[in-house]
Amino acid sequence: MAERRQDPTALLLLLPLSLLLLAAFVLPVAGLVPTSLRPYIAGRGIGEGWTLQHYVLALTDAFYLEVLARTIGLGLTVTMLTLLIGYPLAYILARSTSPFRHWLTLLVIFPMLLNLVVRTFGWIALLARRGLVNQWLIGLGITDEPIRLMFNFTGLLIGLTHIFLPVMVLVLLAVIQNIPVDVEDAAATLGASRVNVFANVVLPMSAPGILAGSILVFVLTVSALVTPRLLGGPTYKVVSTLVYEQFLQLLNWPAGSALALLMTAIVLLLLWLGARLARRWEAGA
Amino acid sequence: MKARGLLSGAYVALVLGFLMLPVAVVVLASFSTTSFLTIPPQGVTLRWYGRVLESPEYLHAIRVSLSLAAAATVGALAIGTAASYALVRRVVPGRTLVASLVMSPLVFPGLVIGVALLQLYAALGMAGSFVGLWLAHMVITVPYVIRTTLASLAGLDAELEDAACTLGATRLSAFMLVTLPLLRPGLAAGGLFAFITSFDNVPVSIFLTGVASTTLPVKIFTAIEFGVDPSVAAISSLLILATGLTLLLAERWIGFSRFT
Repeated sequence: MAERRQDPTALLLLLPLSLLLLAAFVLPVAGLVPTSLRPYIAGRGIGEGWTLQHYVLALTDAFYLEVLARTIGLGLTVTMLTLLIGYPLAYILARSTSPFRHWLTLLVIFPMLLNLVVRTFGWIALLARRGLVNQWLIGLGITDEPIRLMFNFTGLLIGLTHIFLPVMVLVLLAVIQNIPVDVEDAAATLGASRVNVFANVVLPMSAPGILAGSILVFVLTVSALVTPRLLGGPTYKVVSTLVYEQFLQLLNWPAGSALALLMTAIVLLLLWLGARLARRWEAGA
Repeated sequence: MKARGLLSGAYVALVLGFLMLPVAVVVLASFSTTSFLTIPPQGVTLRWYGRVLESPEYLHAIRVSLSLAAAATVGALAIGTAASYALVRRVVPGRTLVASLVMSPLVFPGLVIGVALLQLYAALGMAGSFVGLWLAHMVITVPYVIRTTLASLAGLDAELEDAACTLGATRLSAFMLVTLPLLRPGLAAGGLFAFITSFDNVPVSIFLTGVASTTLPVKIFTAIEFGVDPSVAAISSLLILATGLTLLLAERWIGFSRFT
């Protein structure tokens, strides 16, 4: 393998990408910071002077705190559900010798590639007041009145779990595939029960995948906009739909910027913690 | 042993059924004669497809999305490949930092990029412009190109290019004639991911589109917000068909599942 060459073309090759990221990512996001510290004047927009009021409001007002708690609660629940549903699927697919295995994996990838709006629209048809689920429930005599399945926690939970399940499965699949079957066989030969093999061999060896998948799904859930907006409507809010509303409907950019930065802080903190934990495991292993 | 296999099979069928359920529902709804969906459908019609394909708004949005995705993919392939090449083959100061910065749009909240650019473009007087959307879409698609090209480049021997140079090729022609053709599978996979990512995006686009630059998913999103009607199901079904065909063709040509 040749040595890495040291010459000025390296910087030239990196220049277009660096300029793009600086101009259309780093600087604009940094530009939200001063906006978030400006007062908002109704009807006129951004005012003069500096203030911390948007942050104070977001972290003390009961309504904002409820939305924040709901967002994080959704993130945790969706992460747990995708993990519980996804792990067995990933394990079965990874260990499968079926000739259809390849097609089954493609069936997991397909919904992930399908447009988010389209997938969410399917859930609206299912979960709406006159939707299919309610028609089935009434038809089966389980309930007389339609149950509320949208514009609440249940609706967002079902929709978001569906959206991010393939992500979790693919991350876990990649990790479990790399655990040699021989290791499991060896443990079984040495007398370990099925449960033991799973708990002491497979589970610890797939821990990096569980961590990576969980952090990814959590981060994607708390920053998701399309599914919460369409299934939660204008009334049942999470942080991202609040940001959407502040920027596009109320035109309160200072408050919107503060909320957007708050969300970014949560996401970055989690990614940082995850990376730290992963590094510690690698060092320990 | 057999019982366990059956149990596994049933579980896989159940979860895949859950994943496919809303997709099936959308397709059924698109053929339904009633404005809301019933199972079994009360009647079958192609009226909604006709309505979508005759709607100048939808056709315009499809055109915008296709040209935006194509332009973003070409741009991301060009600057992404150049950057990957530098990262793998050259000494780059702060290499790890640069690498993690370029990959960060993968996990960075899309809507934060959206509102940040909305503010910038408003200040520059380029709100709703196609160029503005194009720059934003390059930011979110370039990580996919870099991920696949980094992997492909790492698998190539740098001495191949040196050999070409020894035989009289310039650096540029050595890259064009030796390295680039060998990178083709990685470029195809990265380009495809980039195209799909751009074509599907809502959280960034929704803040940046104007009347003339509304993309297809943003158009569907707003249509649903105004109230569901079956033409939404028809255009969605067309997208389902297009996505399915893309996946099958990609799997055929470049072995898609290798890159996910």
